[in-house]
Amino acid sequence: MKIDMKKFAAWFDDRLALTPIFKYMTKKEVPQHEHSFWYYTGSSILLFLFIQIITGIMLALYYKPTLEGATDSIGRIMTEIPLGWLVRSVHSWSSTFLIAIVMIHLLAIWFTKSYRKPREATWMTGMMLLVVSMVFGFTGYLLPWDDLSLSATKVGTNIPMAIPVVGKWVTQFLRGGGDVTGDTLTRFYLFHVCILPLVIFAILAVHILLVQKEGMSVPLKDEIAKKKVPALPFWPNFILREVVIWLVLLGILLTISLMFAPSLELTADLMAPAPEGVKPEWYFLFLFQTLKIFPANMGPVTGEFVAVVLILIAVVAIFFLPFIDNKPEGKKGKIIQYLGVVGLIYAIVFSIWSLL
Amino acid sequence: MRIDNAYFTRRKFLNSILGGWLGAVAASFISPIVKFVWPPYKEPDEVKLVFADYSGMQPGEVKNFPWGSKPGLLKRAPDGSFIAWVGVCTHLDCNVSWVAAKQQFFCACHDGWYDENGTNVSGPPPKPLRRLEPSVEGEDLFVRKPGVGAKT
Repeated sequence: MKIDMKKFAAWFDDRLALTPIFKYMTKKEVPQHEHSFWYYTGSSILLFLFIQIITGIMLALYYKPTLEGATDSIGRIMTEIPLGWLVRSVHSWSSTFLIAIVMIHLLAIWFTKSYRKPREATWMTGMMLLVVSMVFGFTGYLLPWDDLSLSATKVGTNIPMAIPVVGKWVTQFLRGGGDVTGDTLTRFYLFHVCILPLVIFAILAVHILLVQKEGMSVPLKDEIAKKKVPALPFWPNFILREVVIWLVLLGILLTISLMFAPSLELTADLMAPAPEGVKPEWYFLFLFQTLKIFPANMGPVTGEFVAVVLILIAVVAIFFLPFIDNKPEGKKGKIIQYLGVVGLIYAIVFSIWSLL
Repeated sequence: MRIDNAYFTRRKFLNSILGGWLGAVAASFISPIVKFVWPPYKEPDEVKLVFADYSGMQPGEVKNFPWGSKPGLLKRAPDGSFIAWVGVCTHLDCNVSWVAAKQQFFCACHDGWYDENGTNVSGPPPKPLRRLEPSVEGEDLFVRKPGVGAKT
């Protein structure tokens, strides 16, 4: 029997009514201008998210989130399971790539001020995605359950304690008790493989929907001049360029994963002193260094409290940036532009400082 | 429909009743969920150690013991008595170690130092190490939280 593909497709479309989406995709256009390159960062993030999902599911086939089994199960993945060392390395490196491109994505939008009206909600969902990505990284860091990851998690989960009243509550929630124990490991694993994926998909759906609804932003000066910016069809021209970038990034990812596979230390000992050189993942280094430079006590409160409050204020301010920067072409807009540069330099300098 | 002199319509009244009821049902689930998610946590009031394991310590020597899920530090004073601390840094909770060469306690996470009495002397720690009260009772060595007397 010969299946009539056209009829088959028509049957599905009758039920699912997907034609408008395909039509939209073929009609969608991407503006071409001097900042167009940054458009590609969005889809590159999706590429690494996809890699994280695939390699994450693979690792979860053998990983055991228990006090006794965690480190050994990763050892087994790395030594017994065919190509296990590579899968773990790709998962670890891909997280680094993902966060790095997320940061570039954010900075590009900051500097081109693409968050301006009507794209405030896109920026805010983007900030939420950044925070969720960082929590992904933080929870994943503990899973090998070695000395370094244990101490880093003790420090990280203790930071909320600096906030009066609710802080203790948050810390106990994160740890599943007063101390980092096997319960913390189980909890972090659950967050890493179940709760955070649900959260990230929900926010990501809104984020992508908003991008489609508003279309791609054009440079501020062209918008003010009401200039008609030349555009490239999304399908197939833009997708083709995206695929080229994906392949290049995949090649770099695989090369680095092959050459610099992460190591595995001895199983964490809850009673052992903290090892020297406890460091969080690289994207937390500037925050780690910020915490370090504050003195023990500042008047009636601890220096840690002041540092945590300042960091929280900064995060909230960045979250609401589109509303703070409501006149992007004015003087205030310029100042915010420079503040972005200052913030970037601060983060780079403090990250390097923390490694010295 | 609105009854004469009523502040709201019948539809609005019924919606509020139904909405309020749904809200109340949902709220009644919050307490058990919160209770389950935040496990009860209590630090031990006291731990019982075998004195023989520690009786051979020289004055100035420091040994670890388990204080619940945290490490405890036990030090022998020059007069032969014991001093004990909870062995976690008061800055951000990392486990500290005794550096015999410097006669100080050290936290490697953020370079915090405490002197031989557990007082914070350098780095970010805001407070001295928490003191515990050791007491030798027959063949046992009890370590208690301050203020928790011996159970008789």
